[in-house]
Amino acid sequence: MADHTSGSNEKAKAVVEAFPKKLNRQALLSFASCVHCGMCNDSCHYYLATGDPKMTPAYKADQVRKLFKYHVDWLGRLAPAWVGGKTFTDDAQLEELKDVVFGTCTMCRRCTISCPFGVDHALMMRMTRGMLSAQGVAPEGVKVVSNDQWQTGNQMGVSQEDYLETLAWLQDELRNEVGDPKAEIPIDKAGVNIVFVVNPREIKYAPMSLLAAAKIFYAAGEDWTMPSVGWDNTNFGLFSGDDKLGAHMGNLAYDQAIKLGVKKMVVSECGHGFRATKWEAPNWAGRDLPFPIESFLETMVEYVNTGRIMLDPSANRKPVTYHDPCNLGRSAGITEEPRFLLKRACMDYREMTPNRQENYCCTGGGGAMSMSEYSSRRLQVAKVKADQIKATGAACVATACHNCVDGLTDLIKHYKINIPVKNVCEYVADALVLRRAAHVTEEMPAELRGRSVLVIDDDPDVVTYLTTLLQDHGLKTFTARNAAEGIKVARRERPDMITLDISMPGRSGIEVFTWLRSEPEMTGIPVCIVTGAIDFRQLMYHRNVPPPDGYIEKPVKADLLLMTVRRILEIKLHKASPVGVS
Amino acid sequence: MPIHLSHFTAVLMDEVQIAALLFMAVVYALKIRWVLSYKAGKERTPSRGDTGKAIRYAYTTVAMPWELPSTRKHWFRWVEFAIFHVAVATAIGVTFVMPYWPKAIASPPVVSTLQAVFGLGLLAALSRLGRRIADPSMRAITSPDDAFSLIMLACWLGAGVLAAPQTSEPALIAFFGLTAFFLVYVPFSKISHYIYWPFIRYYIGKHLGHRGVYPAKAVPNRA
Repeated sequence: MADHTSGSNEKAKAVVEAFPKKLNRQALLSFASCVHCGMCNDSCHYYLATGDPKMTPAYKADQVRKLFKYHVDWLGRLAPAWVGGKTFTDDAQLEELKDVVFGTCTMCRRCTISCPFGVDHALMMRMTRGMLSAQGVAPEGVKVVSNDQWQTGNQMGVSQEDYLETLAWLQDELRNEVGDPKAEIPIDKAGVNIVFVVNPREIKYAPMSLLAAAKIFYAAGEDWTMPSVGWDNTNFGLFSGDDKLGAHMGNLAYDQAIKLGVKKMVVSECGHGFRATKWEAPNWAGRDLPFPIESFLETMVEYVNTGRIMLDPSANRKPVTYHDPCNLGRSAGITEEPRFLLKRACMDYREMTPNRQENYCCTGGGGAMSMSEYSSRRLQVAKVKADQIKATGAACVATACHNCVDGLTDLIKHYKINIPVKNVCEYVADALVLRRAAHVTEEMPAELRGRSVLVIDDDPDVVTYLTTLLQDHGLKTFTARNAAEGIKVARRERPDMITLDISMPGRSGIEVFTWLRSEPEMTGIPVCIVTGAIDFRQLMYHRNVPPPDGYIEKPVKADLLLMTVRRILEIKLHKASPVGVS
Repeated sequence: MPIHLSHFTAVLMDEVQIAALLFMAVVYALKIRWVLSYKAGKERTPSRGDTGKAIRYAYTTVAMPWELPSTRKHWFRWVEFAIFHVAVATAIGVTFVMPYWPKAIASPPVVSTLQAVFGLGLLAALSRLGRRIADPSMRAITSPDDAFSLIMLACWLGAGVLAAPQTSEPALIAFFGLTAFFLVYVPFSKISHYIYWPFIRYYIGKHLGHRGVYPAKAVPNRA
């Protein structure tokens, strides 16, 4: 790293002092053992895609290891330069280190699997992230999300009211879909078999996977519940290196499960969420849990094996491939369950190469989706993954992680592969053989008919498509073709919600969104981002204002648009006149 | 046949080696105590896999180049690694035999074999050195200690080629002089990685075995 100076050294001093205290035996061995053989070099997608010598795992680890060599290693303490030892004397050096440990490593552990020694680079990176985070040296998105987890108990700052409203809305959707008015999504039901903890993305932006899970629980006749608190299975403590946050998030979920007296906890399809909830948080919290924790993938396998659900693969005819999330494949041992399910739920399953514990990262791991300052690099190094997907010839991608869904969706768009990415449970739900015929409702409830939606988009084809679709379902629409016009129409018409494009000539959708969220008379209007650009993720993570109420990626799928509009409008309506949650 | 040695050479091959070896043993004992003084992280959760089997697997992957994606892809480097380490281990063995039972390794076939092993080890060392110089990604991670250790080991193996017939006193002085140097220097340098190896393989095997990742599952369509 180049040497720059900031004139201050307080944080650098604190990091240097913390370093030896953070070492445990495994970390010490990983710092001490590397012989710089270079066998890990091309295991890393950052190096493979760029060929930059500074992107090899060993080089990146050395930016931290130099501290070990300088302060801990025996020979290094006498002759640091001889063994590559160096200390930090200026806070500016920490900023450079931040870019290395947050911006060039997703802690995917593929290098660890490749290392003949088993040097755990992710362990070293996480330890360093923890030291930097403690000094406030971390990407803005990581800070915001970590703060939200401390303050609200979930990473997207979803309020209790919004959470319960979303579940109530999802329950209506479930009833419509399975054709059973008694189908339910229970909340805080005591003594049940399963408490189901989810990724907040499923509540806030992508309820399809939660709806799919509810449908599968319904089909299996499961006695389950959602918890009213401690429902977020994600854990930014894993990404920021903050063990206290990690323990806090684990404790929220564990305490509620114990309070409800459930038999087991099931974690929805989230790679790091499962790893953190099942494996890491008990260690951080120092707790032995009285109930088992399993992945929803394992639950679904059990349902199939015991005949509790039946699958018809003809529901998924297109060739599908599976992307192994790093946190499941390399840190949690979950590799066969998704294959078992996909081979039974899909007609044409195709293996990705390499796969399982050798699979390449989706590039969104390690909290990378929340660090929009590194987005362009993330997409550059995603070429490795894009080539892997293209080589399968598959028409759809399945994965078992919401971070991966977002990471893969971004790279698929960037490399113009143009195929959808869904969670495994969505394929399983589509293939479910239900006693009652399931149907996807596109009906707009009577209470929503006549509500108004402002469509702001510079593409006339998109405007026509969206307005036609919304009008056909009983909604009133206004249109605007640029930011200035959008603001003008929003002021004049005060619509019930707004769909907002991001990339527009002149002022961008991000500016419009920030304005909408800052103007007191506009803050009550929900906004759904409809975009083909990946910049919108900064609205979800780097937020100075509350995040959008939904997002839909172009090309827009009609059922997803209608579902999202229904969800946003119903929740807005219920907020205006609250009703009890059954 | 082994030549008659001067007093200096005899002392270098015997007393000096023993003293250096004792020094190394003491430093290694302290180093192991140092490693063990750090608390090991533990898993509080029930195991998903067979931890014992995973630890055994972690120890044996060194001899199974098909198991790691890196050695499967760079099989030539694994062969190079094997030759280099066999040569070093053989040279270490020779330093114990030659001073006390010189005739045991003096027959022409044995000498030729030793020279071939040391010679191949020297070539592997030079190849590794060449890679560190020519490949920018290797150059970027090479410390002075890395380069020095490799150069000195190449010199040592070269001296071993010349010393194996036991007919040249300067060659024996070079070989045993370098041996004594290594016995003192190695515990502090990167070459001491073999002291860490049993520990780190144990912990990575235990950790990944606990999670059900190790032993690695059969991976179809391996790249």
